[in-house]
Amino acid sequence: MQALDIRPCTLDTRSETLRAEVRAFLSETLQDLPAAERARNWNGVDESFSLKLGARGWLGMTWPRRYGGHERSALERYVVLEELLAAGAPVNAHWIAERQSGPLLIRFSPDNLAPRICPGIARGETYIAIGMSEPDVGSDLAAVRTRADKVVGGWRVNGQKIWTTGAHRAQHMVTLLRTSPRDETHRHAGLSQFLVDLSAPGITIRPILNMLGEHDYNEVFLEDVFVPDRDVIGQLGDGWKQVGAELALERSGPERYLSSTQLYLEMLDVADPLDARHAVSLGRVAARYAALRQMSLGIAGMLARGENPAIAATLVKDQGAVLEQSMPDLAHELFGGLRTPGSPLDQTLRYITQTAPSFSLRGGTREILRGIIARGLGLR
Amino acid sequence: MNSLEPQGADNGACSELQTMIADSVERLFSRAITPSVLADFDTHGRIDDLWQRVVDSGLPHALVPEHAGGSGASLLDVGAVLRAIGYWQAPLPLGETLLATALLARAGLDIPDGPISLIQAGRLGDVRLTTDARAVQGCAEQVPWSRACRWAVIADAGNIALVDLQHDSLTRSAARNFANEQRDTLCFEHTPVVATAELKLPGVSEPVWLLGALLRACMSVGALESALDMAVGYANERVQFGKPIGRQQALQQLLAQMAGAIGLAQMTTRIALGSTSDYLEGRLAQPHRILFDIAAAKVCASEAASLGCSVAHQVHGSIGFTHEHSLHQVTRRLWSWREEFGSDAQWAHLLGSAAIESGAQGFWNGLVERDLWRSHQEVA
Repeated sequence: MQALDIRPCTLDTRSETLRAEVRAFLSETLQDLPAAERARNWNGVDESFSLKLGARGWLGMTWPRRYGGHERSALERYVVLEELLAAGAPVNAHWIAERQSGPLLIRFSPDNLAPRICPGIARGETYIAIGMSEPDVGSDLAAVRTRADKVVGGWRVNGQKIWTTGAHRAQHMVTLLRTSPRDETHRHAGLSQFLVDLSAPGITIRPILNMLGEHDYNEVFLEDVFVPDRDVIGQLGDGWKQVGAELALERSGPERYLSSTQLYLEMLDVADPLDARHAVSLGRVAARYAALRQMSLGIAGMLARGENPAIAATLVKDQGAVLEQSMPDLAHELFGGLRTPGSPLDQTLRYITQTAPSFSLRGGTREILRGIIARGLGLR
Repeated sequence: MNSLEPQGADNGACSELQTMIADSVERLFSRAITPSVLADFDTHGRIDDLWQRVVDSGLPHALVPEHAGGSGASLLDVGAVLRAIGYWQAPLPLGETLLATALLARAGLDIPDGPISLIQAGRLGDVRLTTDARAVQGCAEQVPWSRACRWAVIADAGNIALVDLQHDSLTRSAARNFANEQRDTLCFEHTPVVATAELKLPGVSEPVWLLGALLRACMSVGALESALDMAVGYANERVQFGKPIGRQQALQQLLAQMAGAIGLAQMTTRIALGSTSDYLEGRLAQPHRILFDIAAAKVCASEAASLGCSVAHQVHGSIGFTHEHSLHQVTRRLWSWREEFGSDAQWAHLLGSAAIESGAQGFWNGLVERDLWRSHQEVA
């Protein structure tokens, strides 16, 4: 149980002052953003909005100045993130680069890649895709087959990535691949990560439309793509370790319980406070929001103190997805057959009903997460 | 991710007093509450010997100020005691007595010796204080430990009174909860109070109901932790098909779900204990925050009780359904406590009504402020 313990975190006045600034900015910048767009939450893309955040100094907030960062606290960053997500701001263009790739480069390539790439991320200009999954490689990442062969001055990369979110907008792809042959006794050895330039010759990007017909995912084909030595992230062979560190950053943020918030807000606006069915159901959700916000914030505080609450973060992600996914069914239960077509509730419900299945797939499937939690409980 | 120190992060560390109290209650209960003590309680309902050991430890007066002969601990300091009542299934009116003494001390009334029960006028029956607050009239249902307790604290509107439960004018019909804990109906016929005073608690109109809900939430969390420990232990020991049943993914998924629900309950009760403790010490500027926190805690703890009992029994198989096995000592309490001082649905109703009133515009700020009643004076 120790591994699952999350200590509460109290935000300081500096963070709360910042919250007021963020809210003022958002109410002005997003005043005309309709509910249907806000419903997209962190799937919403608006590159001009990313640039505005960069100009405000709200990207790369915690990074050192030499990487274009602003040396603010992790909790200040947390406040900015939760305000953006609660408002349904379109943050997706820079999201992965800012959340995962920047910290990855700062940690593992502090002298080479981070000074070159991170300032652009912090300005909201540089976008990065993550090439982990492959056609036969989902949860079991150690089985990747994309490989790099040494050539003069760099590497020749061949393989195929899939489910690569935003590759059609990104300038780079952090790519997990094999730099030495697979060894069944050391499955995680021989993996490395490269920062691949997506405009390089030999790259082909094909869209995979999701069930709504929208283009977020891609297939990325790499055919004899040359990657210079200087674009190897960290040490050769450290790919597995790097991926583990990255996924920990991916599992605990406020985006893991806020994805369906717009639908909850729309329900509040049409619900009848005197209808006990409405009040009880929406109140149960309010209690879960209260719990998950404190849990997610608690993990942010623990990370900021240099602790590694990896299993607790996994639990937050799992429970967050349960909350997010309960929302369309609850909206159906309370308002199914009663909605006004084209109303904000209707539009929001349509979108979230059809994206919710992905909430327990992205960033680790529910089954994998629960297996991790079970081991944390001491099940052998 | 960064080396910058978090600003104002609450590290949630335990004070020396908290550690001392936690150690002492753990030592006491782990030795004193054996399976045979619980079985004996089930058969005969006696608690005298166990209560005497608790009295000897000084725990019942932990919340009484030092100048009034107590330990002067805060509610947060005794959080471990409330949890331990659940973890060890202590069949004692200890939580009730702790809260009753805290309320009496706050109202400036003398603290009597012996266990004290809790009654909230306006809930479960028609009991009221007379207009001059000098007598009690009407019936109170589900009065906790009403035979074991010589006294009860009754809260009605802005008043609090101490009443002698052995007074001649009082009639009693015995009742018990699922766990054989006394929950009698008491009828008062103009029963004179022993003492009465005004109880000033800004923003709170039903202090016993509210604090009682927090008490049951804390006890439920302890009981749930016990159920989870038992289930994980059993899953690791019980071998079928040549391996421990805990290796089965189906079972791991169930236990991970239970751990998730407990995680929500732990966090919300911890937050609620903290803010209520601050409130009682006069350090909380927003009184409605305890209402939000306690409602969320009771919803999450009671929901976790429902899921947790079901999973714990499923994991234990037939042996957990026997009278001989002690799992039922935990689950029968959880099934009782989840509805006492308001069920999850009742507290969700309160939260949900307020969330609907706050609407899409106000909900997020209410969640951040932990107050959905910012324009109201008194709520519950």
